[in-house]
Amino acid sequence: MSFEVLKAGIFTTLQDRGRFLFTHLGVTNSGTMDEYASLAAHKLLDNSLDTNILEITFSNFELRANTETNISITGASCEFYINNISQNTWQVHKIYKGDSIKIGKIIDGQRVYLSVKNGFDIPKEFGSNSTTIKESLGGINGTKLQNNDILPYFENKENITKRWHQDYIPKYEKELTLRVLLSYQESSFSDSEKEKFFNSTYTITPDFNRMACKLKGDPINSSLDGIISEAITFGSIQIPKDGQPIILLKERQTIGGYPKIGTVLNIDCFKLSQMKIGGTIKFEEIDIDTAQKKFKEFYLTFK
Amino acid sequence: MIEIKLASVDSVMIYFGDTISKENSNQVKSAYKILKNLHNPYLIEIIPSYNSLLVTYDIFKYSFEEIQIYLNSFLKNIPIKNENNSEIITVDVYYAVEVGLDLQRVATNSKISIQEVIEIHSSKLYDVYAIGFLPGFAYMASVDKKIITPRLESPRKKIPKGSVAIADNQTAIYPQNSPGGWNILGKTTFELFDKSLKDLSPISIESKIKFNPISRDEFLKQGGVLEF
Repeated sequence: MSFEVLKAGIFTTLQDRGRFLFTHLGVTNSGTMDEYASLAAHKLLDNSLDTNILEITFSNFELRANTETNISITGASCEFYINNISQNTWQVHKIYKGDSIKIGKIIDGQRVYLSVKNGFDIPKEFGSNSTTIKESLGGINGTKLQNNDILPYFENKENITKRWHQDYIPKYEKELTLRVLLSYQESSFSDSEKEKFFNSTYTITPDFNRMACKLKGDPINSSLDGIISEAITFGSIQIPKDGQPIILLKERQTIGGYPKIGTVLNIDCFKLSQMKIGGTIKFEEIDIDTAQKKFKEFYLTFK
Repeated sequence: MIEIKLASVDSVMIYFGDTISKENSNQVKSAYKILKNLHNPYLIEIIPSYNSLLVTYDIFKYSFEEIQIYLNSFLKNIPIKNENNSEIITVDVYYAVEVGLDLQRVATNSKISIQEVIEIHSSKLYDVYAIGFLPGFAYMASVDKKIITPRLESPRKKIPKGSVAIADNQTAIYPQNSPGGWNILGKTTFELFDKSLKDLSPISIESKIKFNPISRDEFLKQGGVLEF
């Protein structure tokens, strides 16, 4: 009972909500880049939220099913076919033995998520299925998906017909405003530097991957050259000497020595992860009480 | 002075002074131990470093204000002297120019012989100050003043796994092949990060490390490789 990977695509990885118990040893969290899309995929199937899922970043992906189940596809808008017939994403599809599931061109957004009812039956490594290639942890043998890989799952004879409400399917635009909590070394940035930071438009550079997103724009200066290395959370904004902000994402290093002006609200990092190179970013300040309220609202949607 | 600062929507940073010192590090370790031993499931992650602890918490349980009050209740009277009974981990090292590419550089820089560099490096008991950069990469200190050597001006593209190296007053073992600018003194077969180990690594922030010089024969017998 499994999928056979006919075409793995250029960069497809198995993920879940991340690996949290070994950060004190320098092991990164990893996990899905866009939790809105990945949790929605699980919610559609009524999977538990820590179920594993495929994160597909480029086109040319194809699976063949060898038993009955249900799948959901969310995230970036894309050409999606079952047995060469075009189908909608953000909904559940019944799959039968022999079906081919294909992702063609990715249109708006960057990452497509494919969830199967009750998850892929793959053992976790150190508490998680999340693949971190540089650590050779998670996924199948710690690598991205390969052609001819086998993804086992459990047979499921239900007919689930759920779809995500049209109004809540994100539109992936070319411009995005990220809400920022001023934190960490924010006091090492003068008022005028902060003003510059919040009034500039930054462009996403090609240095954008699961680890971090490097921006280009008006340089921001800290009065500190470096700091004593300390742990870095998801969404932290490092300002290296060249003054160009780096937003740290799921596969960030666990500790680092650059000054940080603040942290992007996690739920906005999920939107960022669907942006393309060349997209533009603005920053807007948020206070901790509002941030926590937004965070709670977000996760309560999936409860 | 202990200070709690906002880090992100669901995490705070606890700072123990603003310098790298054994006292601050001991406070970090004591506080880390206290918080870990609470086994509080709402404290999601606790990540120690030189003078700080990052605590990620469940905001459905604690607000930002509440977590500060909660943490502060454990941070009073954190001992500066660390009654650390953690066992000493001995790491066998083959110190020689054929694997320690910078032994000569360190000797020249310190105006002493290679043999003296080896004796000085292996005579100290090192504390771990932080783990990061690579999984299992432990920043250990303090290297004896006599052999303090700055990083290489241009980092090597590849430092082989197991290389034992120094940079300024810190020493470390490369847990895997990696680019790096530290001065390589020797090589070990000691595994710092290994999937076959139950806890992934035999070391923690609380470990104390002692380097033990071994012969070429012994190194090879342990499965050591000389090639770069």
